[in-house]
Amino acid sequence: MREPIFGRFDPPRSSDHLLGPVQRLKTPMRHYRESEEVDVCIVGVGSAGGVLLQRLSRAGLRVVGIESGPFWDVERDWVSDEAGSHKLYWNDLRITAGANPITLGENNSGHGVGGGSVHWAAFAPRFHPSDFHIYELDGVGVDWPFRYDVIRPYYEMLEREMPVAGPARFPWGYPHSYPYGPHPSAGVGDVLIKGCTKLGIPVVAGGPVAILSGSYGDRQHCIYRGFCIQGCKVGAKQSTLYSHVPDAVACGAEIRDRSMAARVNLRPDGLVSGVTYFDAAGNERHQRCKLVVISGYAIETPRLLLNSASPGHEKGLANSSDTVGRYLMVQAGNVILGRFPQLIRLYKGPPAHALTEEFYETDPRRDFARGFAVQTVGPLPIAFAKQMMVAKGAWGWGLRKVMMDYNHWATLGLLGELLPWADNRVTIAEERDGHGLPVAKVTYGLKENDKKLIEFGKRKVMEIMSAAGAEEVVQEARYAHLIGGARMGDDPDTSVVDRFGCSHDIPNLFCCDGSILPTQGSANPGLTIQSLAARTANYIIAQSDRLSQGLRGLPEEPPIRHDLSPPGTYQRGIPRIPWPARQS
Amino acid sequence: MTSQNPAADHLLPVDPQSGSPLDPRRQPGYYPGFSTLDQRAFWDAATRQTVMDRVEQVPAIRFFDGGEAATMQAICNRILPQDDRDPERRIPVLNYLDNRLYSGMSDGYRYEDMPADGDAFRLGIQAIDEISVHLHAKRFTELEMAQQEEVLETIHDAHPPAGGNIWKRMPVDRFWLLLVQDIAAAYYAHPWSWDEIGFGGPAYPRGYVRLENGKAEPWEKDEQRYEWEPPPGARSGGYRPVGGGRPHHAPPGQSGTH
Ligand SMILES: Cc1cc2nc3c(=O)[nH]c(=O)nc-3n(C[C@H](O)[C@H](O)[C@H](O)COP(=O)(O)OP(=O)(O)OC[C@H]3O[C@@H](n4cnc5c(N)ncnc54)[C@H](O)[C@@H]3O)c2cc1C
Ligand code: SF4
Repeated sequence: MREPIFGRFDPPRSSDHLLGPVQRLKTPMRHYRESEEVDVCIVGVGSAGGVLLQRLSRAGLRVVGIESGPFWDVERDWVSDEAGSHKLYWNDLRITAGANPITLGENNSGHGVGGGSVHWAAFAPRFHPSDFHIYELDGVGVDWPFRYDVIRPYYEMLEREMPVAGPARFPWGYPHSYPYGPHPSAGVGDVLIKGCTKLGIPVVAGGPVAILSGSYGDRQHCIYRGFCIQGCKVGAKQSTLYSHVPDAVACGAEIRDRSMAARVNLRPDGLVSGVTYFDAAGNERHQRCKLVVISGYAIETPRLLLNSASPGHEKGLANSSDTVGRYLMVQAGNVILGRFPQLIRLYKGPPAHALTEEFYETDPRRDFARGFAVQTVGPLPIAFAKQMMVAKGAWGWGLRKVMMDYNHWATLGLLGELLPWADNRVTIAEERDGHGLPVAKVTYGLKENDKKLIEFGKRKVMEIMSAAGAEEVVQEARYAHLIGGARMGDDPDTSVVDRFGCSHDIPNLFCCDGSILPTQGSANPGLTIQSLAARTANYIIAQSDRLSQGLRGLPEEPPIRHDLSPPGTYQRGIPRIPWPARQS
Repeated sequence: MTSQNPAADHLLPVDPQSGSPLDPRRQPGYYPGFSTLDQRAFWDAATRQTVMDRVEQVPAIRFFDGGEAATMQAICNRILPQDDRDPERRIPVLNYLDNRLYSGMSDGYRYEDMPADGDAFRLGIQAIDEISVHLHAKRFTELEMAQQEEVLETIHDAHPPAGGNIWKRMPVDRFWLLLVQDIAAAYYAHPWSWDEIGFGGPAYPRGYVRLENGKAEPWEKDEQRYEWEPPPGARSGGYRPVGGGRPHHAPPGQSGTH
């Protein structure tokens, strides 16, 4: 067996908390007593929770994050192995039901500090300006309580904080340019580029992805090993664990990991008083606080609200409108697989590295509203075998045979907008988890527009795959990216939280994560979720005087706070092509 | 790791030209000489530990009882046949599957109309025996390879001729996906399967440098194809949709990608 020239790569013997090979967490972490009333308690330190924790603690608020999963010591806990990465997903029981039940588990949320940003593929496109008012434009879905111009500064800020690498020229939606250079293309990206170019479809490669194309602070650049969905041990792919949590801890935030929030408690005057949770040893504990933000993901946020039902809130907290859990959405995530005569080796490079949004907007020539994107994906062997089981019906000798051709296949993902419907929802099931808490039941079914969009989109991607030279093209149906369930809006009768994430019913209870998105276009939601978290944090900071007195915050857009970005990220990186600002 | 059915051990893939059986190999597939395990000194310590434990510490059978284990082994032998592998190089998929069920490792969800995973497997084994008896008046383990495949094919096609009571408690198409994906996941988690299909395996901290045009890293191997066909009489060699292509909504994909 050959040995590396500089010896084997073993983690240092020190007891430092390692985030990637170089980054270290500053310890010891601040610790608050439970009897102490902290300013903010955040449930779930995931994509949104990590950003919130960082902003609020940097602004000087006393913040505790309660996270059900572990605070990863990355170098020791994570592996460069598909089966060994199972622990990164939410593996507690959930029930899935409905006409088109969605596959959960590794297909949706994370578990542990960083949450879903630990295992996301890190595609980081922005939503288009049209996404914020699809009811006005197309008569479908619902309009957001604000428009693109409100979120744009946050997109620009988060793109530097993550940071996002991408093309110099991103032509779709609100055209923009990325300050960090694109990644080299890999096998699957080449297929997408070739297929699109043959058909005259514009395409970009090398991003936008929240993956470092050069080293950045104490984080290393990408080494193109393709294990993004298994958690990036390198530290190149953004997760809030790398980009925001270290600054939060340095600013005095406390994270209680392996702690499962059971319910949000109320004071006699109807305001929130704190959170009851089970600690790592299974003991029931209570943290008092002035304000609670629930950032538990589109399934767990509604579950916690529903499980917190109490006298006066029999249907669950913040649920006077009976909207909690409703309008749950996914995106069409069909995987299209093409076999090529030549070798592709799809496992190299980040799975996310090229896309086209040419079909994103409503096209009057099509018989459905809204549209879709086409993106690269890079299944490792187990995921690929499961795809072949569905897409080709493979088993037995047929499965062995097609798997031997793994390196001849390329895989593209459809990412299509599916609309919000009241009966697609999270409810509480009869089953209970290990703590005795009722688990979530997710009911999902497609409607007419959804089905037409999927049919058209999947055919288009198959056409691209064939144009790229595939000799055989198959596909599987799939759904990606759960959002909704606690949607925001101006009308308290049809939404759970207001435009800032504050629940309509209780002024010191906020929700902030994917669950508050009213719709999600055909862009992966992660950048938008983190951007909205920065904005909600700004709002809580701006209104902290009122909020801490139990008063509802004023409906004023908070000031942009560049000073609250993690140190050294503000204005770093210069966009290569300044675009003339276009009408949004 | 030998089959319960002595006949099945002789069912080797064949050379399509001559029709003669291909001898079992230490490493089937088109990348002879490629060994991910040989690269383990280049992996990080945590990954090395996880993968070496998988190879060296094969868990004992603890979830299935003796009879169930025998039937399940025979099922594994057909869902993921390994007759083309040298006996000492067969991947103990049943042990990994059993370990998952024994330790209650869940995938994080259950279909509303499905029992818990462990119960689903127990019921499935029972149903498979009922179909075997219905079609051939013998238990699954006593059938010939082609008969065993015939039984499993009825489940793949969502058209089982027996076991009605069980299928009332568990939709047949969902059981099929659970069965195949669990067995496939056990097989393709093993480094010997990576060598077979030419997957580079763990790649941290080294990474890849030759990203395009299917090029091999210096430590990978180029493809050397040979032609082979499934053993004569095998029914699993062709491809047809799960559910038999009858009007039936296609099952959704089961893994996370983007
Ligand atoms: C395979 C895969 C690939 C993806 N790729 C992309 C991509 O390329 N681009 C993109 O934009 N998005 C992608 N996503 C989606 C993205 O990961 C999610 O949309 C995003 O992480 C959701 O953020 P969140 O803040 O809503 O929830 P999460 O990030 O999941 O955070 C929720 C956190 O809350 C914790 N929690 C929940 N309930 C409790 C409780 N009761 N008590 C304590 N803690 C609790 C959880 O443990 C978790 O850490 C992908 C998803 C998957 C599954
Ligand atoms: S491909 Fe790059 S970003 Fe993805 S896991 Fe590997 S090093 Fe990290």
